[in-house]
Amino acid sequence: MIEIKNIKKSFGKNEVLKNINTEIKKGDKVVIIGPSGSGKSTLLRCMNLLETPTSGSIVFQGTDITDKKSDINKIRQRMGMVFQHFNLFPHLTVLENIMLAPVKLNLQTKEEAEENALRLLERIGLSDKKYEYPAMLSGGQKQRIAIVRSLSMKPEIMLFDEPTSALDPEMIGEVLKLMKDLAEDGMTMVVVTHEMGFAKSVANRILFMDEGKILEENNPQDFFLNPVHERSKEFLSKILYNI
Amino acid sequence: MKKVSVLLIVTMVFALTTGCSSKTTEQPAENTTNQEAAAQAEDNTLVMYTNAEFPPFEYFEGEKIVGVDVDIANEIAKDMGKELVVEHIDFSSIIPAVLNDKADFGAAGMTITPERQEQVDFSISYVESIQHIISKKDAEILDMEGLKGKKIGVQLGTTGDLAISDAVNLPEGDLYNSGAEVKTYKNALEASQDLLAGRVDAVVIDKLPAEEIVNGNEGLKSVVFGAISEAYGICVKKGNGELLNSINSTLQRLLDEGKIAEFIENHSK
Amino acid sequence: MTKLENFINSFNKTFIVEGRYKLFASGISNTIFIAFFATLMGIAIGLFIALVKTNAKNNRKLFVLDKICSLYVTIIRGTPVVVQLLIMYYVIFVNIDNSILVAILTFGINSGAYVSEIARAGIESVDKGQIEAGMSLGLDRKKTMIYIIFPQALKNILPALGNEFIALLKETSVAGYVPIIDLTKAGDIVRSRTWEPFFPLYSVALFYLVMVVGLTAVQKRLERRLSESDRN
Repeated sequence: MIEIKNIKKSFGKNEVLKNINTEIKKGDKVVIIGPSGSGKSTLLRCMNLLETPTSGSIVFQGTDITDKKSDINKIRQRMGMVFQHFNLFPHLTVLENIMLAPVKLNLQTKEEAEENALRLLERIGLSDKKYEYPAMLSGGQKQRIAIVRSLSMKPEIMLFDEPTSALDPEMIGEVLKLMKDLAEDGMTMVVVTHEMGFAKSVANRILFMDEGKILEENNPQDFFLNPVHERSKEFLSKILYNI
Repeated sequence: MKKVSVLLIVTMVFALTTGCSSKTTEQPAENTTNQEAAAQAEDNTLVMYTNAEFPPFEYFEGEKIVGVDVDIANEIAKDMGKELVVEHIDFSSIIPAVLNDKADFGAAGMTITPERQEQVDFSISYVESIQHIISKKDAEILDMEGLKGKKIGVQLGTTGDLAISDAVNLPEGDLYNSGAEVKTYKNALEASQDLLAGRVDAVVIDKLPAEEIVNGNEGLKSVVFGAISEAYGICVKKGNGELLNSINSTLQRLLDEGKIAEFIENHSK
Repeated sequence: MTKLENFINSFNKTFIVEGRYKLFASGISNTIFIAFFATLMGIAIGLFIALVKTNAKNNRKLFVLDKICSLYVTIIRGTPVVVQLLIMYYVIFVNIDNSILVAILTFGINSGAYVSEIARAGIESVDKGQIEAGMSLGLDRKKTMIYIIFPQALKNILPALGNEFIALLKETSVAGYVPIIDLTKAGDIVRSRTWEPFFPLYSVALFYLVMVVGLTAVQKRLERRLSESDRN
């Protein structure tokens, strides 16, 4: 589904991604882990071109999205993204947040979009919040609404950029639960996270990154039990120690 | 009585030489009441008729009539070595009184007009407000009639502004509902710039700035705007050249000395 | 004359004689007319410049336009509005006959420079994550701006914008430097007829005050409505 070839990304003199190669297949649940500053968020943001790679190519469903001729807006409509800080639109109600993109892009009529949005809200049990503004919601509620806002576009793949890092501990569970449900429905997902439990139980592949490189790529069982790379071992020991 | 007879003689001589008839048929009704005053006028008096309801030129201060014209008349009397007598009367009766020899002269902030000049002689003007109409050379705007329906530039608060604004805005005004429009400027220069730019058709302004503007701009001309020009003069009976000469020489002296401006200032408080 | 008689007499001279209240009425209506349309124009120009300036960082094609906008803002903010008005009226727009139109253009262009700075600050004050959220949903830059950034920026800048328009309303008091009868000029004209400063000047001041107080009330209501989404 997404082929990432020789991606490099520099911010000024600072090279954040050093020649990344990997592929996301349909139905994959890929979890990217690694210490902060390893470039994992940048890699994720390159996948829908929120960051433009300095060189290399990203091919989504046969289209090179780094090619200036390809319509990135059209491509993004097929890729959902969830942010660490939710980024709900504070001036719109919950319902309007979810309906905005499908309606303004003329993909759905207002009625269709509303029906769809209500169904999504029902699914996450937040129907009663449809006329509330984001400021009145808890962090967990905000993030779940951000997720269904992306789903309203009926994406083929979902990108999650540390979706639980900004949440109070008691709210992490509800968000992970929703993500798990999505995974079970067969959604292709790429998740940057520190939630090792989620990685273990949901991922079919783990990418371990450090200093702008993918150091290890494996299934979760092998990765967590028998990490190969020195840095992976060190990272896991710290994480597991903290738990 | 001597003075009256002298005047009579002078008048007769003049009437003879000029053939001008002193037909004073339209003698006012007040005549009888004022005869007394005239009769009291003795040899060495100079009688001035005025209408003391026109400050600062003449007004009552208690029982006394004072004002710019009175100050001027005092100077005239002094120069002639005579004693001044000031009488208050209806404005419209001043000229008849002069024609009737009840008064030696009339001084009442009286504007010199062609109509009045047919009846009496005027001194040189001692207060002037001559307005000009400036327009482009090819324009035919010479008088109030020509200003109808035109855009007229004026300088805020000047005589031209007051007169044109009244003419345009008041129902009895000559330009009312004619389509004429007043544009008010901070100064004459800017009004004339808009005239050159074609944004106004004419500018109505005092004589001096008008002349300066026309001198500085080849395409413009200016004409005296008779309808609102004002020059005050002192009136005497036609043919009374001797008195008129005395009055004129005193006026000229006062003008030269800047006294008249001083009088106006004194009485304008 | 007693003080009361004096007062009534002055009032009479200022407002009643020769129907002078009509002069004040047309002055007020011209002032409002000029301020209103200049305001609309100022918003249009200000938004345009703010857009150029906020987008110039990511778009090299806007480089020249960006420099022109900067020059415009520098010139307008660096010169007094009276001088701008005189230049506009007597030089640049010397072929425009309608002096009120020239005034609207002048005050609109003037206000645009100030609004552009306000609007730019407002746009930049919106969290960058909002743009990313919009774009990640597949909205193009324009739609993201219109539906996501502008409404939030507007709320941020409304107080500053309101103050700018109140300032603009008061600034139009120099319109009388060209042949326009605005409120201030109406007072000047009456003053030149009555030779009395008291009533015309206080009346003019009072009329401005009433307009500004009214505008402030409208501004407060708008702000309250726009901040609905903040209520907890």
